[in-house]
Amino acid sequence: MIQLEDVGVRYRLPSEKIPTLKEYVIRALRGQIKQQTFWALQNINLEVYPGEVFGIVGPNGAGKSTLLKVVSRVLRPTKGRVRVVGKVAPLLELGAGFDFELTGRENIFLNGAILGFSKREMEKRIDRIVEFAGLGDFIDAPLRTYSSGMVARLGFAVATDERPEILVVDEILSVGDAEFQTRSFERIQSFQAQGTTILLVTHDIARVETMCQRAIFLSHGQIVAAGSAAQVVDRYLGRIRQQEETRLAEAQTAEQPWRWGNRKIEITKVEFLDEHGQPKNIFQTGEYFALRIEYQAHEPIDSPVFGMAIHHNDGTHLTGPNTQFAGLDLGRVEGKGWVLYEVDRLPLLEGLYKVSVAVHNASDSEMYDDHDRQYQVRVIRSENTNERYGYLTLNGRWSLTRCTPIQNYRV
Amino acid sequence: MLGLQKSAEAMSKRWVYDTATLRDPALEELFQLWRYRDLLHLLVVNRIKTRYKRSVLGVVWTLLNPLLNTLVLTIVFSQIFHFDVPNYPIYILSGLLFWNFFAQSTLDAMDTLVWGSSLLKRIYIPRTIFAVAVVGNGLVNYLLALIPLGVIMLVLRHPFTLNLAALPLAILILATFTLGMGLLLSTLAVFFVDLVYIFNVLLLVWFYLTPIIYPLSILPERFLPLFRLNPLLHLLQLFRRIIYEGTMPSLSLWGAAFLLALVALGIGWIVFTRKADEFAYRI
Repeated sequence: MIQLEDVGVRYRLPSEKIPTLKEYVIRALRGQIKQQTFWALQNINLEVYPGEVFGIVGPNGAGKSTLLKVVSRVLRPTKGRVRVVGKVAPLLELGAGFDFELTGRENIFLNGAILGFSKREMEKRIDRIVEFAGLGDFIDAPLRTYSSGMVARLGFAVATDERPEILVVDEILSVGDAEFQTRSFERIQSFQAQGTTILLVTHDIARVETMCQRAIFLSHGQIVAAGSAAQVVDRYLGRIRQQEETRLAEAQTAEQPWRWGNRKIEITKVEFLDEHGQPKNIFQTGEYFALRIEYQAHEPIDSPVFGMAIHHNDGTHLTGPNTQFAGLDLGRVEGKGWVLYEVDRLPLLEGLYKVSVAVHNASDSEMYDDHDRQYQVRVIRSENTNERYGYLTLNGRWSLTRCTPIQNYRV
Repeated sequence: MLGLQKSAEAMSKRWVYDTATLRDPALEELFQLWRYRDLLHLLVVNRIKTRYKRSVLGVVWTLLNPLLNTLVLTIVFSQIFHFDVPNYPIYILSGLLFWNFFAQSTLDAMDTLVWGSSLLKRIYIPRTIFAVAVVGNGLVNYLLALIPLGVIMLVLRHPFTLNLAALPLAILILATFTLGMGLLLSTLAVFFVDLVYIFNVLLLVWFYLTPIIYPLSILPERFLPLFRLNPLLHLLQLFRRIIYEGTMPSLSLWGAAFLLALVALGIGWIVFTRKADEFAYRI
């Protein structure tokens, strides 16, 4: 059981780092030492019940690791109360708590002692650990002769030999090779089944959704959302989407180094629109999509051609429609106006796409204005998309015709 | 279900962490150190193992080193500076071993806290454990170095007196003082990275201000009160009396040394444990 009541952690850091005594003395004499404080965690109230898998999500620097440190007693909170009943077992980063001059066997004892087990307890478990680690004769060789995979196996074998009461997992599942990951994941799941309380910090949102019952969403050291894992993940993803939206919008207005042309017609604004004519930058596969180009023709031009191109973020050129290919003659263009390109069902699959827009003369011998890959569109999966992988959905239909054995026989 | 939970809670009673009911940090640390005594034991043993494992000469070297040092210093100081000290090799070695223990352990204590910091940031272990292990190592090395000292005493026919039985108590006092200094210095080293270099220079000065290679008698009378401010002087006197003079130190000397050691450990322990909670975000 883990209880946090109004927990706050304040980091006290000098506004400028003063790493040496010499500098400290100089500054102290000048009276220049200012203590700047900031709260890495604030007003944290939560309770994790025995046997629960509890997720913590949030952007980098939100205080997730600090929260784990408070629970595992590495950091004493500045404020509030932390109560933890049961032994906390952290999954250490690979190689932490090992002495590479010692043998594998000696390191099992060392690592066990660091995890708080007595020598007697370790003596009872040593054979099982050696067997699980499966290092053969290497177990009596110094650790410096091990490959990193072997060190990982040894560390995991020690840390998870006994089912811990409380397991603290900080992004550990993304370490090591695929086989090791699967094994560690399976073991953690079996702990979960046997009632271990698990505190899980990860950027792997899908994992939080599948493994955790409840979760919190931390941002700037505060709990923004708490509740069922699905709800919290939703909130978190919503926030990420919102941030990306602003980031993309900012990117659209940024300086454009790849712009060229004589600007007889100038492209003054480019926007992506939804079906209501509202600008947006994130679309779902199969959604309505429109591109609106605002232009200013500084002199009258006959039959200009407006076009666009879509590149996938990996550089693949997907398509390049323009008004001329569409058989459209725009006639004489003068002053300000808009060109609209509409797609009823966007066939792009999830990914980041770069859009170019350009306007040139009918014979493509004179470029008026070209914005090469200056605009970005993010496409996300929608539940209605039934195709995956690659760039496009063809929106096709599958069917099956069965040959019955009798028909077969006839042939 | 509720019953099950209750029994689980009772089972894990040993491992309840509650910031609201924590003892004073200095006391709590003592309690935790006892709980992690197996780790402490391993840290001491492992360091000795790794030190002697890689070279067969390891042990021989530890024994040979003080002998060679003594030889060089004896030649330099008794022949060139003409210090009039009978059995000068024993005078010097008793001081050198004392000094090595203090200097090496305090420097190591600063080093290992920084070395152990990667661990301290990730998992809870009593934070004094590295400093205590380092002093434990110093003790082992000191005891090993007593062998060459014994050899020299035999060769020079220096008397082995019954008063040597008091040596363990003197060693204990020295270890206590050293641990206190090591804790205090390693706390400061966490906050100021240049402290290790500064302390290295200070140690050099301190070495020459302590009568290790020269007799106290060469000093002008008027400087003596100043030299008595040096706490190491009093501790050193214990060892000189017991090993070199073969006499029992006076009660007042015992008392002074014991008090100094206790004060050093008290200050070091309290400062270290008060600041230990800040280590995780400093190192």
